[in-house]
Amino acid sequence: MSTVRRLVLDMMKPHELTIVDIADAVADIGPGVNGVNAVLIETDRQVDNVKLTVEGDDVDFQAVETRITDMGGTIHSIDEVVCGDRTIDESKTPQDSL
Amino acid sequence: MFGPSEIQSFFRGYAAVLEDEEVRAISRRYFIANGFDMTLTTLGVVLGAYLSGVGSGLTVVKVAFGAGVGLTTSAVWSVWEIERAEKRSEIRSLENAMLTDLSETRLRRRRRRGQVINALASGLGPVVGITPALWYLFGLPILDATIASAVWALCVLFVFGVYMSRVSNHSWLISGIRMALAGVVVAFINLVLPGGG
Repeated sequence: MSTVRRLVLDMMKPHELTIVDIADAVADIGPGVNGVNAVLIETDRQVDNVKLTVEGDDVDFQAVETRITDMGGTIHSIDEVVCGDRTIDESKTPQDSL
Repeated sequence: MFGPSEIQSFFRGYAAVLEDEEVRAISRRYFIANGFDMTLTTLGVVLGAYLSGVGSGLTVVKVAFGAGVGLTTSAVWSVWEIERAEKRSEIRSLENAMLTDLSETRLRRRRRRGQVINALASGLGPVVGITPALWYLFGLPILDATIASAVWALCVLFVFGVYMSRVSNHSWLISGIRMALAGVVVAFINLVLPGGG
């Protein structure tokens, strides 16, 4: 299987876990992860929605999921995956402007 | 079996929870409340014993330790159960909000560690509160031991007050006197009760 280079996740976390905790824990997974970006999307009474971008030479999705779940967060959806020898960004198509 | 990494992780987990201001605040409350209870109980025991004509210091110590065992057990047990219920309720509420099971997560482990620290701090209060009775172990005449014990109890109460003033940023002297005043009230009631004085 080819290596995963970028993962964009929509996740939920309780307030008491900060995005610093989440980003720090995921970045600490191993040498396959080079960087993590966590953005607060929406805040509710007890929970927050966070967009988590994980990049690296070999991002292990199972390890990321296990780490997030172990901390008390949940993954809602995988919004973007980049696999292969190099990182490819999304291409614009005419339908995007509709 | 516990290896070095498990032991390290065990202590690191507790060290992290000890930095949590909420855990510290709850532990402080239980420590002071139960320490206050036990100090006043010890003061009541030593004054009551003297006024009832108990002639053996060892008997006073045994009675105070009996009360101490009861209060310490109560302090640890009740806080364990109270905090268990509170923390379970918090987790259940979070689980409802997250629509997931949080039983095997750091959130749950963190609360369990907080529960252990709260119960230990609560049990530590009575251990401090029983120290006035130790004066009877130094072979002093019974009146001297009673006076030393009562003065020590007032000092312990005063220190509890000073400790609380550091939390609330109030005057340490006034806070200390306010707590020590409870000891004076206990002594006064013991003296005016029928059979006292």
